Amino acid sequence: MNIVEVRNVCKTYPAFRLKNVSFSLEGGKITGFIGRNGAGKTTTIKSMLNLIHTDSGEINYFGLPLSGHEMEIKQRVGYSTGTVSWYPRKTIREIVNVTKTFYPDWDEDAYRRYMTLFGLDENKKPIELSEGMKVKFNLLLALSHRAEVLILDEPTSGLDPFSRDELLGMFTTLKEHGVTILFSTHITSDLERCADNIVYISGGEIRAACTKAGFMQSYGEPGETLEEVFLRLEREVLA
Amino acid sequence: MSALLKKEMRLSALLLTYLFIAFGAMTLLPGYPILCGAFFICLGIFQSFQSAREANDIVYSALLPVAKRDVVKGKFQFATFIELCGFLLMAVLTVVRMTVLADALVYRHNALMNANPFYLGMALLIFGLFNVILVGGFFKTGYKLGKPFVIFSIVAFVVIGIAEALHHFPGLQVLNAFGLDHLGLQLALLAGGILAYILLTVLAYRKACADFEKIDL
Repeated sequence: MNIVEVRNVCKTYPAFRLKNVSFSLEGGKITGFIGRNGAGKTTTIKSMLNLIHTDSGEINYFGLPLSGHEMEIKQRVGYSTGTVSWYPRKTIREIVNVTKTFYPDWDEDAYRRYMTLFGLDENKKPIELSEGMKVKFNLLLALSHRAEVLILDEPTSGLDPFSRDELLGMFTTLKEHGVTILFSTHITSDLERCADNIVYISGGEIRAACTKAGFMQSYGEPGETLEEVFLRLEREVLA
Repeated sequence: MSALLKKEMRLSALLLTYLFIAFGAMTLLPGYPILCGAFFICLGIFQSFQSAREANDIVYSALLPVAKRDVVKGKFQFATFIELCGFLLMAVLTVVRMTVLADALVYRHNALMNANPFYLGMALLIFGLFNVILVGGFFKTGYKLGKPFVIFSIVAFVVIGIAEALHHFPGLQVLNAFGLDHLGLQLALLAGGILAYILLTVLAYRKACADFEKIDL
């Protein structure tokens, strides 16, 4: 069953265009959203969160259009964006204490658990965190309100290999609990590690949206790894 | 108190904004253009807007489970809350000047504007203009504050200049009434200020919601 549906989303910037982006997220599955820098991953994710005003297209969550149901949908969706620093001079405790008032389903136990797992200190301020720890703090906020869908923009960027492995392992655990995950990345080994499905974007267009096995079957050549397939496909686009 | 207003007060606001409410006490300064107090209260709100912008506050708010227009509502609620706190202080001190200090020589021999209901009405007009020009102007882009602030500063000081000068024109001396003199007219002028404040704020809020819906964060 599709939990999220993105249909024909278009957005034009002076130097970039998102062209009829369509894909869906299967419930309880991990979807890797891959593309090189500037391919349109963040623009697509921002349009899925109503952060940008799209020219056309439709985005549905749980069978409801985002437009007109923003509040109830956002209650059920967690979002994290890489290393952005929110309120750099407030403590994590202050930020969390305000944030949780917006979520009736805030899970204090999960929050404490992830705090320990990520090695975060409530008394620290975002300005005092390394890039990797900022990613973890953003993930902490996304994971602590029992979100059914997680939309994560480059969650592994800036993480050390050990933390990255832990995080990808956590994705698998969350999936087992029925959480649907979309995460963007340009690191193919992240996909190999845990993705069930792949959405591949290049030049503002979706080139593939299918299962990982289906992707290798349709686009891979004998003996190629996932990384080699992407590199070849990108070179073909440039040619 | 709404969750958004709490968020504005606890995460987005600077302590300075609350301290600047005290500029409402300029109402008591003799021989000083006391309407400047309203401008300084707005300046305090502006400082919080600047600080919040640097803290990625708008995107953070837009990601919370609220509608995009609610982000605008939160900012307007915060601005009006601070303005009304400042106004309350100015109103209390104006009443003191109109009653207990009605005959104080230091206020009687004053070429500048007197503290009376007309003064309060003009302060509300300045707050309303701030909501239109700065708060409303901010939501055209979600990040630009410089131009709206320069425009607001010019407009505010023009309004202050006019308000300070008006009672020197023949027939307009009643604007500078002392004590409870011309109370009916004075209260009507205050009512005009209240009406202008409400109209300007509601219009600015509606326009800001429409503008914010269109911009990319």
